[in-house]
Order: sequence, then C-alpha cells, then structure tokens
Amino acid sequence: MAIKCVTGRHDFFLAACLLGLAVILGVMFHWPLVQASLRGNLTTLLDQKRQERREVQFQGVKTLDLAQAFQAWQEKKALFVDARKADEYQELHVQGAINVPQETWAELNSSELMKMDRMRELVVYCSQESCDDALKLGKKLREVGFERVLAFTGGFRAWDEAGYPADTSR
Amino acid sequence: MSASVKRFVFPILGLGLGGVFVYAGIQKYLAPYEFAEAILAYQLLPFGLVGLVAATLPWLEMVSGFSLAFGYLWRGRRFSNPVPMGALLRRSALLLILGQSLLFVAVLLIAMARGLKIDCGCGLFMDRQVGLGAILEDALLLGVLGWLYWRECRAGGREH
Repeated sequence: MAIKCVTGRHDFFLAACLLGLAVILGVMFHWPLVQASLRGNLTTLLDQKRQERREVQFQGVKTLDLAQAFQAWQEKKALFVDARKADEYQELHVQGAINVPQETWAELNSSELMKMDRMRELVVYCSQESCDDALKLGKKLREVGFERVLAFTGGFRAWDEAGYPADTSR
Repeated sequence: MSASVKRFVFPILGLGLGGVFVYAGIQKYLAPYEFAEAILAYQLLPFGLVGLVAATLPWLEMVSGFSLAFGYLWRGRRFSNPVPMGALLRRSALLLILGQSLLFVAVLLIAMARGLKIDCGCGLFMDRQVGLGAILEDALLLGVLGWLYWRECRAGGREH
C-alpha cells in the first residue's frame, strides 16, 4: 500500500519564516560579533573576549607567554604539566613534561603529583591558545596547595611551531 | 502500537526533542564568543561568515525547538489554512531540525576525516571532542527525527 506523505508548500514557507526569525534575532542580539566578523576583526574580538572571560573565571592563575615558558624550561626550574588527553601527550609533548589529563582531575588528591613539594614551580599547558584546560588545571592545582602554578596559554601548538624540544617518551 | 501509547509517545518525544534543542541553543546563546571559536576551529567557513553563523545558529535551535514543543501542545486550532496550525508548526520545525542535524553530522564527518582534534561545540555535553560518540549521537537523533517526521507526513495534518 502506498503511503502518501503530506508535505505542502505551507510547511516550507513556515520553516523559511522561522529561519528568517532566527536570523533577525541572532543579528539583533549579537550584532557586535556579526559586525566584527564582516569587518575582518573577528580574531581580535575573540582574543579580547577570551582574555576578559579568563580574567574573571581563572582569577589568581598567572600566565606565561612562549618566551617565558621556554626560559623556564631552559633553566629547568619548573616541572611542565601536560593537561591534554593521554593519546595526544603520547604522540608528542614538551620534553620532560608529565601528563595529567582531564579524566584524572577528580582524583588529583591521590595522584603522584601530590607527593611533590608544594613550592615546586609548575607550568601547565594544553593544546593551543583557545583551550582552557591549562587554566582549569592550574586553578585546581592551586586549590590543592601548589602555590607556584603558571599557565602557558600558547599551548603545545605554539611550542611545537617554535621548534622547541618535544618528545614522545613518558 | 496501541492508540493510547501513540497518544503519549509522540508528544513526549516531540516535547523532549524540542526541549533538547532549546537547551542546546541557550547554552550557545549564553557563550557566543566561545561558540564562534568552536566554529572557527572546524576551518570550514570564511571568517566573514563565522560571526553570522555563531549569532544565528543558537536562535535557530531555540526557535525550531520551541516551535516543535509548542506544536505538540497546540491542538485543533485552525486559521484559514486547511491544516491545523499545531501540525503545520510541528512539520516545519521538524524540517528545520532535520536540516540542522544533517548539517551537524556532515560537519562532524568532515572534521573527523581531516583528523581535527577539536571541541565539537555541540552545546549539550560540554568539553566533548569531535569523534564517533558525537556522530552516533547525531545519527540517533536523525533517526528519531526522521521517524517523527514520517509520522507527521502520514497523519497528513490529523492530530495524534
């Protein structure tokens, strides 16, 4: 038995009206975002908004740029902590870094890291500038007592692109 | 399926799916700049369009989700249209949601094929990465939506 599917032009017309309404509301409520994108200033706006959000969300976690992170690595005064997933870490990471992936953060109190001196300087990083995991882990490490925690916000991408030492060993 | 089961199953499914889309839209609406970053990470759109998509997609999810849920609550009323408004609203919302879900699956497949290890920006489960889990979730959603739409088409405007 053939089953007739009743889909008329009314359906498409109303769907188009709903789509139009969504576009109008979106442009109205987020005009600065649309405008920045059309003018080619999107990355500047996103960097600025990310910075503003992080200043509120991760208050107290100090940050490092690439040059400062490399200097800390050269002086061997800090332990580098990789906050990315285990498979990404195993693929390539900052030479000498240890891996503390997100799925282990809930048991941070029982991790090997807790046996370390709380005054040890830690440099935490994740994959790239836009990821928040380094700052999130940095905040957690401060909460469990580490006082000298720094987040390298450029992430592993910036480190790798600069050609700084990286390896695959644990 | 018995008539009494049908009477409850479809409205509950429709209301649930509508609620899911409204929730996902609200999550993105509240964090437009993070959502724009998630779209940028897919490297699929020109910069000039990223802002427009980041601004309008959350509203599209909210409008279509609300319309779907409202369509299941609005029964029997007709205007000049021969089809009840509730059924028309449901089918139009389902068309939009089906379109969005197909787009999400396509984008996820492209990102996965390109080996991108990025946040999926799905809005439902935060910090979820592009991968098989997100694709299966969307495929399941597509199946349910397709079934609902087929039911609506077959009913031809009659209320369940």
